[in-house]
Parts: sequence; C-alpha cells; structure tokens
Amino acid sequence: MAHKWAMVVDLDRCTGCEACVVACHAENNIPTAGDDQAARGRANHWIRVESYWEGEYPDARLRFQPVMCQQCDDAPCEPVCPVFATYHTAEGLNAQVYNRCVGTRFCANACPYTVRFFNFYNPVWDKPLNLQLNPDVSVRSVGIMEKCTFCVQRIRAAEVQAEGEKRDLKDGEFNPACVQSCSPKALVFGDLNDPNSEVSRLANSNRSTKLLGELGTLPNVTYLPRGV
Amino acid sequence: MKAIYTLCPDPDSAQRLVDALRIASLDLGFTDNQIVVVSGEPYEGYEFFDRYAKSYTFPLAAMGGLIGGICGFLLTTLTQKAYPLATGGMPITPAWTNGIIVYELTMLGAILTTLAYLLAAAPLPSWGAHLTDPEIWTGKILVGVTDPPEASAAAIEKKFLQAGASDLRRFPAPAAR
Amino acid sequence: MKKTPEQIQQDLLRPMFHSSARYWVAVALASCLVLAGACTFLYQVYTGIGIWGLDSPVFWAFDITNFVFWIGISHAGTLISAILRLANATWRRPVTRCAEAITVFAVSIGAIIPVCHIGRPWLAYYLIPYPSERHIWPNFRSPLAWDFFAIITYLTGSTTFLLLPMIPDWAAVRDTSTGLRKRIYGILCLGWRGTPRQWHRLETAMHVMAIVIVPVAVSVHTIVSWDFAMTPVPMWRSTIFGPYFVVGAIFSGIAALILAMALLRKFLHLEEYLQPIHFQNLGKLLLTMSALWFYFTFAERLTTWYANEPSEMAVFWTTIRQNFAPLFWTMVVCNFIIPVPILAIRKLRTITGTCIASATIVVGMWIERFLIIVPALEHKYLPYTYGHYRPTWAEITLMASSFGFMVLLYLLFAKFVPVISVWELKAGLHGAPATPHASTVISVPVGSGIEDNPLPGDV
Repeated sequence: MAHKWAMVVDLDRCTGCEACVVACHAENNIPTAGDDQAARGRANHWIRVESYWEGEYPDARLRFQPVMCQQCDDAPCEPVCPVFATYHTAEGLNAQVYNRCVGTRFCANACPYTVRFFNFYNPVWDKPLNLQLNPDVSVRSVGIMEKCTFCVQRIRAAEVQAEGEKRDLKDGEFNPACVQSCSPKALVFGDLNDPNSEVSRLANSNRSTKLLGELGTLPNVTYLPRGV
Repeated sequence: MKAIYTLCPDPDSAQRLVDALRIASLDLGFTDNQIVVVSGEPYEGYEFFDRYAKSYTFPLAAMGGLIGGICGFLLTTLTQKAYPLATGGMPITPAWTNGIIVYELTMLGAILTTLAYLLAAAPLPSWGAHLTDPEIWTGKILVGVTDPPEASAAAIEKKFLQAGASDLRRFPAPAAR
Repeated sequence: MKKTPEQIQQDLLRPMFHSSARYWVAVALASCLVLAGACTFLYQVYTGIGIWGLDSPVFWAFDITNFVFWIGISHAGTLISAILRLANATWRRPVTRCAEAITVFAVSIGAIIPVCHIGRPWLAYYLIPYPSERHIWPNFRSPLAWDFFAIITYLTGSTTFLLLPMIPDWAAVRDTSTGLRKRIYGILCLGWRGTPRQWHRLETAMHVMAIVIVPVAVSVHTIVSWDFAMTPVPMWRSTIFGPYFVVGAIFSGIAALILAMALLRKFLHLEEYLQPIHFQNLGKLLLTMSALWFYFTFAERLTTWYANEPSEMAVFWTTIRQNFAPLFWTMVVCNFIIPVPILAIRKLRTITGTCIASATIVVGMWIERFLIIVPALEHKYLPYTYGHYRPTWAEITLMASSFGFMVLLYLLFAKFVPVISVWELKAGLHGAPATPHASTVISVPVGSGIEDNPLPGDV
C-alpha cells in the first residue's frame, strides 16, 4: 500500500525552543536572510514557531505553534502554478520542482498559511559555512519558490534503503530534521496509511484539529491543541 | 497595362459613366471586367460599388473559430492526459478551466481566418503597377477601361465624353515634355 | 465649416510630414524614461527581485498593479471602435483610431509586465505550450496560463483591428508623397488599390473583427481578475471580480482615451475634427461608467461588511479606516466625487472638464488596482503572518517607465500614421444615398455570361 506521509504537532508539548527551525535550516540548505532582510519581512523559515501572548500580567502566558507546509490534499497553491512547478505526489506530498519554477509567486499568494518562500536574492554562504551544506538537497538560486518538503530527501533515502533490503519501512525508522531535533517530542511524523503508526494514533485522537480546516485545504498536518 | 480613365466628381456621375461603358462594352470590343473603378473611400448604396458585396467572411470566420476551438480542446485534454499531474484535488482534465482555453482559441481562430480571407480575397498584397491617380484621395472616383483595343480607343473616348466626363486621362501618364 | 475631402486629407496627413521641436523633446524625454526602466530591469535580472519592496506575504504589489492597470486601459479601443461601430454611432469616426492605438499599446505593455515580474524571466518561455524534451506542458488550470492565451488573442485581435483600417490611409500617403516615404508606405499598404472589391472585403473583415473583439475584451479582463479570485485570500475570493474588473477597465480606458484625444487635439491642431461634441459624448459614457464603478464597489464592500467575517473584516477595515484609508478615500474622491459633478452638469462637461475628470479617474483607477492587491495580501488568514509593503525606487522607476513607454509609442504613432482615420471620416461625409442606386442597366452578376446579350433599345 502506498504511503501517505503526515505529521502531528502536539501543542501541549511545544516549548518554543526552535530547535526544529535550526535543524530545518541545516538540513535543507536554507539561506539566512540577515537582520536587514528579516526586518523587511523576508526571513525564510520553512518551519516557524509562532508565539502568542495570552492573558494579562501577572498571568501572562506564552503559547507556541510550529507551522510548516501543511502538504494539503486540496492545495490551493497547486492549480495556480502556470508551469506545473508544484504538484501532488502519490505519497501525499506537495512537491516543489525547483528547476521548473519561474517565480511567478502565484502559489505564495494562494497559500493561506504563508509557508511558501521566495528567493529574493542569490543565497550566499560565507566560507567556511559553505562546507556544511547538505549534499542531498539542491541549493535554490534567485527567483525560485521553496517550502517545507517533509525532508523528502530523507523519505526517499529510507524508501530506497528499504526497497534494497526487500522490507517494509518501519514506523519511526526515519524522521524529518525538525521531528528528529524536537526534544519534547511535540512533532511526530509517519505514515497515515499504516494504522499502527504513532501518527495514525495521534491523528485520530479526540483532540485533533486542523489549522484553517474550514478553508477545505485538507491539510496533512494535525494539531493537538493545548489541554490546559 | 494601359488604360483610358477619368475622375468623376461624385458617385452619381460615376454610376452613369459605368452604366454607359457597360452598355457600350460589347460594341467597342472590351468586357465588363475591363471597366475599373478606383476610389479613396467606400460608397455603399451605389450599384457600381455594391456588386462586389457578396463575401464568405462570416461563414469562414465561424469555421475558423470552430477549428480554433477544436485545437484548444485537443491542446488541453491531450497534454493533460499525456502527462497527468495531480494538482489541488482538481480532475486531470477539468472541463470548465479547459473551456476557457477553448474559448480563447476559438476567438483567435475566427480572427486569424478573417484576416487570412481578407488577404486572399482582396487580394492583398498586390504590389505592382495598377491603375490609380492621386486625385482619388480628394474624393474623386476613378472610372476607366484597362487595355482598350487600339482600334476603338477613339470611340471609347467619345463614350466617356458623351456620359459627361470632362477630363480624360491616359495611364500610364504620357512622359512630360 | 464643412470640410472637403481634400482639406481633410491635408489636415490629417500634415503631422506626418512636419514635426515641431517640441515633439522631438517629448520623444527624447519618453525615451529616457524607457531607458531607465530597461536598465532597472536588467539590474533586477542580475541581482534579483530583492531590489523591489516585496516580502512575505505581499508577493505581488506594483508589478501586478501595473499589469492590471494597463490591461484595463486597453479596453478603451474595444469599446469605442467595436461597440460604437456595431451600434452605428457616427460620431465615433474621428475617435476610433486613437482609441485602437491606445488598446494595442496598452496591451503590449501589459503583456511585457508578466514576463518582467517573474523571478526567472529568462525562463518565461515555460508558459508557452510547446512540445519540450521533458514532455511537460503548461498547467492549463492556472489563471496565469489563461492570461497567456487571453492576452495573445486580444493582442492579435486588437492589432488586426488597428492595422486593417490603416491600409487605405497608408495608400493615401504613398500616393501623395515621394521618394523613400513613398516606397515604405507602398510596401506597408500592401499595394492597396481602392477597388470596390477591396473596400468591401476590408469593411466586412472589420465588421467581423468588431463582433469578435468585444467578447474577447470582456474575457481578457475577467481572466485577469481571476488571477485574484481563484485564490483563498480574504476579499479576493469574490465572485464579483469578473464584472467588477471589466467595468473598471472600460472606465479607465475611456478616461485615458479622453486624455489622449485632448492632447492630440492640442498638439496636432485637430480642433475641427475632435470637437466638443466628441468629448461630451465620451463624457456621458464616462459618467455612466463612474456610476457603475461606484455600484460595484459599494456592492462588494456592503456584502463584506454585512457578513462581518473576521478575516475579511481585517482587510476591510485596513482600507476604510486604518493604514490604507488615505489611499482609499482618495480613490473614491478621484473616481466618483470629482468626476460625477463635472460630467453630469452640462456646463461643466467641456473639453477641459472632461480632461480634469479623466485625469483624476486614471489616478483613481491605479489606486484601486493597488488597493485590491496589497491590503488583502498584507492581511491573510493567519494574523501572525500579517506583513507590510513599501515600494522601492526600482518599482517606481519601472512604473514610470511603463508610462514613458506608452507616451513614446503614442508619439511615434502620431508621427507615422494619421491619428484620425482619413477614409472613414471622408466616408462619413457623404454617407449612403437616400435610396440605393440601381444601375440603369439590369445589373448582372460579374462573370455570369449574361452581359453578352444587352437589352434591345439601350443606348
């Protein structure tokens, strides 16, 4: 049976440490915008941790919500790309094809979660930072859209490995960088088509909800809102 | 190509002259097709002008539109089926959105067919020597007979004068002395 | 003051043969603006769209505003030439060619902008449906792919519509000039002779074009509006966008046409051809469009406000009360409050009055496009991602350059083509006869063979 990759975010567990953001940057060769460009609203974070203040002093509390590409089954970003640079794979991922993208930025406008990013300039890594680039992930040049891919390079590597060893993938055998680096285990990743996976169990819990679910985008990321 | 012609000051006198020339054409040895009218603007409502009104523009434009629409349909559905990429929950060949492309190409087909028919039927381009006079652009209508037989040239000129023409000219214009 | 055909010919062809120093200065200035835009574009290709003011989430701003604005302006010609031609409104004759020229040039500028605004313009050909070695075709579900076909069709149609009636006028120039000019115009006019057959074919072709170009124009701007309406952005996902944009386009198009006519009238001394009655009639059309525009804007805003949906209200309030309020109310003043009294009161509906109204409308309609795009993008569904946009020198230069390009094209047009259709004006002088003139000979179809047997008794 084909895989259907999904993620569950447990908002009770997220501490806002942003290790996931750093790991994603490292894994996916995401350029650092710099404080000037970030101040202009061009920070490029495929996963971001949104923070919300609740209540008034002295009962003020800070709540965190990690948001990444929701890999929507009915993605509004997919039909609007005129060159087919984004499409839906058979495994439920919303794929971005870098070499096909001409940069119309239509998909970024259509995405209600604002999880798509545009390369306004050519990325630069001063030496020796260029040595830490991940060779499994292409470096995107200027004018190309990019977004979270659920670390598709890791998915493919694991699938190839399992196929070579003539076995099925085990749940938790590999994870995207953000899930791997999350110490409170707020992020869980797995195959929704496997009824025994952690992701299936959590996604079917009575706490599960979807971000902007009312828009009908059918996201594959399930949020478990805070219990208290 | 030689011709005898005159410039009529208004369409009514042009009509009279054309009629007279048509009646005389058999006797004087030239055919209806050798009677040429050239003007600097259209004169609808006058017979010498309207006898050329029949054209196939509308049916051809409709046919061109149909061909364009078929091309649009084939372009969208065949390419979408050849390399089916799933996007955003939409079907592989959505009829409504493909319909927009079909509509545009229908219109483009009609436009291009109209243009092609105009060029073919006018006919254009028609570079090369032809009967004309700069005064047609001042509102005069040129009525002439091309390649008149030499024997009846004088009789043709008399016919012109009988029908009310006052300024007979020859084409090509005789060399200035 | 009735003019003879000869006088008409002389007056209207004169600007082609004589140009003042003022003209060349204007050409030089417009060319400088175009050059500035070209240099900015090259710099942008070299460095990246980062030199613009775009950010996350405002990924479209001045670029698409200008695109929609110019495609909107292009609806001038279609309305005037096609619709007035079909309605047989005789006052349209001096106006058709200026209007069609605006259409062609505005669509051309509008067609260049999408190519220039994408992140990798050197790959713009990916939008063209051609059989590639990768076996991949454009995505025909995308509104931008629809844009491609719509604009190509509209550009072809309007260029044909502009060029066809020019052929007889070019023939007139050929016959009344000498030397190189005669040769060039002789080639351009395709050897036009002026026989009745050619006139009939030309007029029928133009009739078909007039019928076809109206639905094309409506579809073009509807499809442009669907660039927005097909996305889940608050206050973009609205079914009213199609008709709203078409009405706005015709509105801004007529305004631009009035301005162009006024300038031509002044600088080419066409006072006797572009008369106050033309400006009055266009002014009445403009008044109607202003009322329609107000109706659509009001309907859209009322239904949004009534529904009180939080995401939409965030965008709504930002335009009515908060950051964009100055621009919004300026737009209302420019599009409705100033033009309506000027255009409605006959004493004010003079050439100067309609020009003032048109100038404010052009500004107001540009603002309207901007206000449709940017406030909605700044406030999408997740408040955490609200953004802010400010244009940079690059976008302002490119915008000014597009205006300069339009002016340059129009100046060149006035030099090389008679801006008023000479033959149509002459044909309007005499009109059709009261009763169709039959021949005194029984008319036989050409080539039927009956002419061998004339009736007995004919002279």
